[in-house]
Amino acid sequence: MDCKQAVSLMHNLLDDDLERSCALDLKEHMLACPACRERFRQLEETEQLLYGFNHRLQPTTDELTERIMSVIPKPKKQSAMFKWVRRHPAITVAAVFVLVMMTSALSMWNADKQLLVKGQQLDGVVIQDNKVIVPNGKVVKGDLTIHNGLAEVYGEVEGNVTVVDGKVYQASTAHITGSVQQIDEAMSWIWYQISSLFPGNATAP
Amino acid sequence: MDTLEKRLAMLARKGDTSAFAEIVELYKDKIFHLAYRMLSNRHEAEDVVQDTFLRVYRNLDRYDENQKFSTWIYRIGTNLCIDRLRKRKPSYSLDAEMNDQEGVDGYSMIPSDDRTPETYLLVSETQRMIHEAIDSLPAKYKSVMVLRYLQDMSLQEISDVLNMPVTTIKTRVHRGREFLRKKLERKI
Ligand SMILES: [Zn+2]
Repeated sequence: MDCKQAVSLMHNLLDDDLERSCALDLKEHMLACPACRERFRQLEETEQLLYGFNHRLQPTTDELTERIMSVIPKPKKQSAMFKWVRRHPAITVAAVFVLVMMTSALSMWNADKQLLVKGQQLDGVVIQDNKVIVPNGKVVKGDLTIHNGLAEVYGEVEGNVTVVDGKVYQASTAHITGSVQQIDEAMSWIWYQISSLFPGNATAP
Repeated sequence: MDTLEKRLAMLARKGDTSAFAEIVELYKDKIFHLAYRMLSNRHEAEDVVQDTFLRVYRNLDRYDENQKFSTWIYRIGTNLCIDRLRKRKPSYSLDAEMNDQEGVDGYSMIPSDDRTPETYLLVSETQRMIHEAIDSLPAKYKSVMVLRYLQDMSLQEISDVLNMPVTTIKTRVHRGREFLRKKLERKI
């Protein structure tokens, strides 16, 4: 066994992953090789120092918990609207209403296939072909709604991002305070239309 | 032990915010310690904790119940730390010394004015040296060494968290150990 092999076995030994026969070979080599004995001593010491490195970190504050809880999106209440419909005897009225909504929403959905961007404040946003880019470092205040396009978020959006018939790409630098929704199909679009009539009651399934 | 977290995760998935708050309480210190060891900066570590939980919340639907919850959350936290380390300016490179087959990555060392009061709590010279030695490890070795020695994970657990073969983890532990041995030579 040469010293290089010996060092490799030392590491396996420290990993608790060395067969007995190999361990005996290593021992034999170390008995005859002062350099490897010293190397092993140093490696063992290093391990001990690392395991003993228990300098106490201050625990995190309750403030951090509050900060986390304040940035997570509001919980979904998916079944609220169904419950509402079930609880009300005027179910036929609701059914007719949904039917009317479906017809009008479908025609709206079919009507436009062009890129459409909606938002309260869009000066930070870059538009390239069918791409809507929120660059790194830029902050968009308010909701961002995009139809028939690709949203690429590198910066910050202080609101919800909704993409209808398109995709949302979030870089690791992205920060979206509201919810992110992708609506790809006619049915979802209808649902979105209905739920936006009842703010707080329902969101897309 | 993991079933509590799984149950909480299922509740949070259905919109139970208080269940999610319990997950935050269970893991915020663990993720903070991981992030602090990785980044040596309290402010950045707190940001990573916040980002980790935000990502956990957004991806609750994608959490696979066959996986340990802790593995999942550690993976998210570790990846966020590695991302941050990679974005730092490379003022210190060890690639010549520590190249392995997967190519070049990982820089560390932060300017000294970035250090937080935490560093002053390192009372002894030895503690300061260990802290600096760990801090100077390149990202890919640092994550493995921090998980192994400061979070007490087995090689298998680290392999699950980082989604890499155990053999790769072993190689990195060996190199990380040699690196630290050299750094701590004066002390040992
Ligand atoms: Zn030798």
